[in-house]
Amino acid sequence: MTATPALDSEPVSSAGVRIPPHQRCTLANGVRLILIPRHDVPMIAFEAVVRGGARLDADGREGVASLAAELLTQGAGSRQPYAFADAVEGAGGSFDADAQSDAILVHGQFLARDRELLLGLLADALQRPRFEPAELEKLRSRRIEFIKAAKDSEPQSLIGSYGRALLFAGHPYGKPIGGSETSLAAISCSNVLQFYHDHFGADRLTLVFAGDFDPAALKGAATAAFASWRAAGVPLAALAAPARVRGRRVLLIDAPGSAQTYFWIANVGVARSFAQRAALELTNTAFGGSFGSMLMQALRIQSGLSYSAHAGFHRGAVAGEFAISSFTQTASTPKAIEAALQTLSALKQRGVGDAIIASAKSYILGQYALGFETGADWAAALADLDLYGLPDSYIDDFGRELERVDAVAVRQVVDSAYPDAQDVDIVLIGDAARIRGEVSKFGPVAEKPLEATDFAPPPRSAWAR
Amino acid sequence: MHAVAASAPRSFADAAATVRSTTLANGLQVIVWPDHNIPNVALNNWVHVGSRNEGHGTTGLAHFFEHMMFNGSSRHPRGEFDRLMEAQGASNNAYTSQDVTVYQDWFPRSALELVFELESDRLANLALVPEVVENERKVVYSERRLRIEDSNAALLEEQVQATAFLAHPYRIPTIGWPSDIQSWTMADLQNFFHSYYAPNNCTLILVGAVDAGQVFALAQKYFAAAPAGEPPPPVRTREPEQQGERRLVLQRPGLNPLVHYAYHAIAASDPLEPALNILQTILVGGHASRLNRALVEEKKLAVAIGGGWSEGFDANIFVIHATLPEGASVPEFEQALDAELAAIVKHRVTEQELRRAKNMAAADFWRGVSTIDGKARLLGEYAVMRGDYALLFAAPEAYERVTRADVARIARQVFNPDKRTIGVLLPSGGDAQ
Repeated sequence: MTATPALDSEPVSSAGVRIPPHQRCTLANGVRLILIPRHDVPMIAFEAVVRGGARLDADGREGVASLAAELLTQGAGSRQPYAFADAVEGAGGSFDADAQSDAILVHGQFLARDRELLLGLLADALQRPRFEPAELEKLRSRRIEFIKAAKDSEPQSLIGSYGRALLFAGHPYGKPIGGSETSLAAISCSNVLQFYHDHFGADRLTLVFAGDFDPAALKGAATAAFASWRAAGVPLAALAAPARVRGRRVLLIDAPGSAQTYFWIANVGVARSFAQRAALELTNTAFGGSFGSMLMQALRIQSGLSYSAHAGFHRGAVAGEFAISSFTQTASTPKAIEAALQTLSALKQRGVGDAIIASAKSYILGQYALGFETGADWAAALADLDLYGLPDSYIDDFGRELERVDAVAVRQVVDSAYPDAQDVDIVLIGDAARIRGEVSKFGPVAEKPLEATDFAPPPRSAWAR
Repeated sequence: MHAVAASAPRSFADAAATVRSTTLANGLQVIVWPDHNIPNVALNNWVHVGSRNEGHGTTGLAHFFEHMMFNGSSRHPRGEFDRLMEAQGASNNAYTSQDVTVYQDWFPRSALELVFELESDRLANLALVPEVVENERKVVYSERRLRIEDSNAALLEEQVQATAFLAHPYRIPTIGWPSDIQSWTMADLQNFFHSYYAPNNCTLILVGAVDAGQVFALAQKYFAAAPAGEPPPPVRTREPEQQGERRLVLQRPGLNPLVHYAYHAIAASDPLEPALNILQTILVGGHASRLNRALVEEKKLAVAIGGGWSEGFDANIFVIHATLPEGASVPEFEQALDAELAAIVKHRVTEQELRRAKNMAAADFWRGVSTIDGKARLLGEYAVMRGDYALLFAAPEAYERVTRADVARIARQVFNPDKRTIGVLLPSGGDAQ
């Protein structure tokens, strides 16, 4: 905590966010190390990035990266599964691992005085996971039950898995990161070990530490702990860019008795390397990111059709999806989808007005510093830059880039990143008996029951009118 | 394992000394914690009204006002609140609980005066325009469908809560019963607003790149003109002592059986609060918690177990909720859970369990105070729910002082089978009937 108050005359601008002093180095075996010392609270946050991730799941074994990630924390080195959790929680620490499409992330936070414990646990988890068959079995069956439970209590949480399987059919971004009931049931211990052998190793790893430590001491300890790790069994394959879809398809996931229809309207968007990212962020804040966005105006504020409506880009190593998501009561399903599509058309035709551009700039700049407040925030931010090969200026120059965004830049982004409302996949979870007739006006409709045990789309022929 | 609280940095004690509080003549309490780590400010306005203050026909109104407070005043038409805030880089949100409604703003310091102007304006001059009310009624009903009606877990929780309390308004779901959402009248709204939205019923908290003198001056400038209201009617009803276990069974389309236990517990201001929070962590906090180990990891009778205690002005319930595997036996799970709860009442928790819970509480505390938002939330919880913000700074020591005997005492008090309600949701296959 900084106790010294700033003077009122001091210029204060959230645009002035700059990456704090830090060190980067690479060990002989390829492990990249980033250290960000800061002493506001007596804690150390860490973020370990293993490049690769769920996009490398073998066909039919979707969920294996995600299972391998979670198993890292279920026993490693000399610690049995319970002993690992006892060591973490006994020190008041946190230690979690999960898979994303492009990487496996291991992250957590410990009291500063538990630095050795943290490093020991991290080194064991990454280099000496036990992968006990009993633990795999427990985790796998639990994950299957979680998917079922989500169908009962949170169906909207599954819509992206159905949607990406349709939109990215055949491309790795279409794989459900957590797996499906079917694919999880097929995963064996040898699948997990093979994934670990192939896709974990020093040449894939970046370690970021932020917090209350002496950089020289931590660098020495991290080097000792990781310098002898092997390389991953296979080189990291490049990822092809997915193709955008043309025309419209409707996939209706039948949830009989559902009180609402949940919908997801998407096409392939842009990659993390998209050059006009400041203009993109501004445009999307205005379109579907803020409370007063165009989508919220159309679906909530002016019509009361929905509690919430949102649009966003998933920008990975290659383009992920641009998706609009919202929901409405069953009876107003066509009206709400129509409103969302019209709002997208309005953006494509008219862009964003100057007043809204000015306001969105202030809003984004005013909020920017709040995303870089803690050691954990900085560890995650530098890990992300490293994963996607982005320069420091990605953060340091964001404010200046945003200031320069004008109507021309917004128009370019609308044209290049946003789909035409005629070219989208529409996925619905709802009561098919009550809506199937009405939603056919949005495009050919194929159906899949919510109780099916996978997320795979029906065959192409199912959309024939 | 060793104690975490002992490592409290000196700067935290210094920080405690920088917090300032004042109360305006109209009763508005203002608390300020200067923190210049980032050039931003978090503001919370804690309005001391929640679903606990509702009655027949008016359930859901506290939450409805959480929505209406963003829908325009006599001075700023609908939409302007957000428009003006966004134009100066500010964001906002709000939430409603059984006890309070909390309005939150996050903004660069340059927007400080605007935020004061807008917050004071909506408190004094909120507009209740019939067309806007009707639109928002639909939005809230959509929120109810999302959160409750399409969720087996939430439906069960709602039913258990309404069964566990016979008399106390904690039986009311905060989002409101459907027929009330559909039928609140303009008179209900005006009456509710008039009764609860007054400066003497609010606690204003600011944390971040400000200094106390500047904030107090702005509070005086913008809030002093609002007259104090009549003190809101107290919630007089006390829940009568439960006279035996209650049980309810729901049959719903679905796959996984759900079990939800509710035991009558204590109020937030109870001296046993730290002990109950420690007990909660021992039972359901983290992978190494007792119930997770025994029922999820070892016996595999559940796939997830969680729970906790709602800290309220009045004694609320301690709940334990579990998701069972498809086709699992509910009685077998209940028997195993009952055995675990009986064991924790009969035998003291171990020193190691106590140490783990204390260290987790301390680490949570440090994570909480590492952001301006977390500081504002914690100040509010201590100032409003426990009566004094300064208790926040004593919290690490209060947790550290909890003994195994304290945990045993609160476990005995809470886990009394005669004072519990058990809700079970039995899935009836994929067909909706």
